[in-house]
Amino acid sequence: MTLEIGASGSPASPVPEAAIPVSAQAPAWRHRHLLDVDVLDWSEIELVMTTTDAMREVLARPIAKVPALRGRNVTILFYEASTRTRVSFEVAAKNLSADVVNIAAATSSVTKGESLVDTIRTVEALGAQMLVMRHAVSGAPYLAAAHFGGSVLNGGDGWHAHPTQALLDLYTMREHLPGGSVAGRKVVILGDILHSRVARSNIWSLTAAGADLWLCGPSTLLRGFDRWAAASPRIPGHGRFQVTSDLGAALAGADVVMALRIQRERMAGGLLPSLREYAARFGLTRERLAAARPDVVVMHPGPMNEGVEIAPDVATDPRSVITNQVTNGVAVRMALLYLLAGVHGEGR
Amino acid sequence: MSATSGAAGHAGETSGVGSGEPVREAAGRRAGEVVAELEITRAWLVDPAAGREGPGEIVVSNGVLEAVTWLEGAEAKGVGPDGVVVAPGFIDLHAHLREPGNEDAETIASGLSAAAHGGFTTVCLMPNSVPALDEPSVLARVRAAAIASGSPVEALAHGAVTVGRAGEQLAALGELADAGIVGFSDDGACVANPTILRNAFLYAGMLGRPIIDHPELAELTRGSEANEGYIASVLGLKGWPAAAEIAAVERDIAVLAEVLRDEPGARLHLTHLSTAGALAAVRRAKAAGLPVTCDVTPHHVGFTDEWLAGARRWAWEALDANGAARDPWLDGALTAGPYDTSLRVNPPLRGPEEAAACLAALADGTADALATDHAPHTLVDKEVEFGLAANGISGLETALGVLLAAVDAGRLTLSRAIAALTTGPAAVLAGWPGVVASGDIRALAQPRGLVEGAPADLVVFDRSDRWRVTPESLASKGKNTPLLGRELSGRVLLTVAAGRIAYEEGAAGA
Ligand SMILES: [Zn+2]
Repeated sequence: MTLEIGASGSPASPVPEAAIPVSAQAPAWRHRHLLDVDVLDWSEIELVMTTTDAMREVLARPIAKVPALRGRNVTILFYEASTRTRVSFEVAAKNLSADVVNIAAATSSVTKGESLVDTIRTVEALGAQMLVMRHAVSGAPYLAAAHFGGSVLNGGDGWHAHPTQALLDLYTMREHLPGGSVAGRKVVILGDILHSRVARSNIWSLTAAGADLWLCGPSTLLRGFDRWAAASPRIPGHGRFQVTSDLGAALAGADVVMALRIQRERMAGGLLPSLREYAARFGLTRERLAAARPDVVVMHPGPMNEGVEIAPDVATDPRSVITNQVTNGVAVRMALLYLLAGVHGEGR
Repeated sequence: MSATSGAAGHAGETSGVGSGEPVREAAGRRAGEVVAELEITRAWLVDPAAGREGPGEIVVSNGVLEAVTWLEGAEAKGVGPDGVVVAPGFIDLHAHLREPGNEDAETIASGLSAAAHGGFTTVCLMPNSVPALDEPSVLARVRAAAIASGSPVEALAHGAVTVGRAGEQLAALGELADAGIVGFSDDGACVANPTILRNAFLYAGMLGRPIIDHPELAELTRGSEANEGYIASVLGLKGWPAAAEIAAVERDIAVLAEVLRDEPGARLHLTHLSTAGALAAVRRAKAAGLPVTCDVTPHHVGFTDEWLAGARRWAWEALDANGAARDPWLDGALTAGPYDTSLRVNPPLRGPEEAAACLAALADGTADALATDHAPHTLVDKEVEFGLAANGISGLETALGVLLAAVDAGRLTLSRAIAALTTGPAAVLAGWPGVVASGDIRALAQPRGLVEGAPADLVVFDRSDRWRVTPESLASKGKNTPLLGRELSGRVLLTVAAGRIAYEEGAAGA
């Protein structure tokens, strides 16, 4: 059974081409902001997944557009350049008929410009009702949320969190794993874990999902995670995660392997000798992938350095779902904008 | 138990005996006024200089502590350490009062008011003003502001080690010593260059003054945001390794040990130590007879890095029965939002094991003193992204409350807590030969005891009376404390410095 939901976020007259097929049994969404995955319990993650299913149906239509956010101002405030993530949010918001405002801002520490709080107040005065924010400093969206009257959706903050990426990753894994579940599946995240908000958010969602999660990379890019791994399991009843620099052990029997981007500036900080050496020791190649399960799912949050963290033939291998991640990214972001739009003021 | 504090008309009134509610209405006195007559009856006196505490009474007349009477037998009945306490005035070895240069954050007048409200009658100002206190004219400005404030709190000052605290060229050390500075520090930064440090030890040692180092190997902490460990990993904050402090402390001690052969007057004071490793190094240095002293701050004793994630329990509550850190994500300890910039401080808040080491160091005397590292900041400098926020916690007014929380929890005795604020820092100052020889420091004339016949220098607080930390309740312009909204025990009722009223609860303008 589906319930037709219109622009107001409440049951509306059935307009078939404008409807989002959302299950009526769905629990209520109670979060006004989504700043990280850690605040979501499992039923809420499931709600995101089923809402994303509905958005996928919308995207499959000839005209992939619904009026759910008609008249709503979604402001996309990016303090870091990232065309692909910004465009993904923009397409998602436009598919929901929102009015989209794009702001590319500079981090105040560098330019001594307007403070984040001033910017948030200005953006709100200009009509922003929902704010999608990307920032280079960990925790910045928490400051924004404390000063913004509408909803804040974190589009990535520093090394800390990238909740829409983690949720699209989970959605993509469930889509491609036999049985549609990651519970008990061996999932490997490979690369620069230390600087990765993608890895951090995935730790919350994948351990909540019951995955057998492995973080793998050179020890300089894993520093500190052993202590996190050694801490008690995040969600009682679910497993811990493992941290290792032994790529062979990590890949053995893996169901999912996600490679992370290696950035050139890691060499300057003395974290890696060279990209060449990284590729030789940790690059995801066909030969290495042979240790994983034959039907392993290969992922990458992008943008890729082909030939460094992932070999070109692995990126284009039939087992790679990297382009599916991009498509699912739009659907997950539509789902989250839609869910957040239904909570006004009183949510957390 | 009860105390009566009042001017002549109130003296001797003990109508509150047994009521549990001490009399504390303002007697019309104003800050700065000489205490004409004051009698405090049936209170708990703590005199760390005499190694004594117990029920007693004091009388102040014309600014002089006329009588200290210890009660015994039936007279002492019902007077305990949980009510009104009278102790010598507190000394803070490390406070940032921001003037000159940053008067939006604090002025010497507002900072001295905050000190008095916190029970401090002597504060040592750090030299990282703008301009830095690296030559006598800046000291003259500081002194003039202190006098103009009318506060009887003694404002001592440390001078910079290097010109502009830039770490390259020695500041006017001799002129500063002649002008009356107490010690030398580039605080805010470590003296990074070991050759400069070595020469500074030699030259300052010749002047009988210490080097007060902020131990931090900057190469290990560039861009660091939070104590390296579990919490920083989860929050995606750049780790601040304990080794940066430990290595700097070990280096400082090694350089000092060698310098002492040539200059026996050399002294090292390590400020705001935050790690078990650094405190262990100090313990070893003291055992070897080296002239090394150190302090720890209230925030490194009472708060931990889990506060950055939103926990607000005291450091000792964050350890389980085996002494291991609890997991705030699992045990429901996250009661506030994450990334509160009032918690951004240098050195960073550490894990509960390190905080326990700081508390243990206070208890066993390895840490000679509690120093506040009072670091007021404006909202503009704190209401920003965590990683861009200014370092520092406003601490003069909550230091006593944090220590009393440890006392209330049975982690520290009341007498040790008071000693860490009084005889401890006084002994540190007394270990600096040039300071003693200069003879003009009040804190040394009366080594922090309740001494009959000396100018009254004391604090009266009520352990049974809790107060809520709010922006309005703080005299400091710096409202940057994570304790906002929290209740602390030990409301300060009265602070008397050099026989004059520094603070009186409920008084106009207090
Ligand atoms: Zn310092």
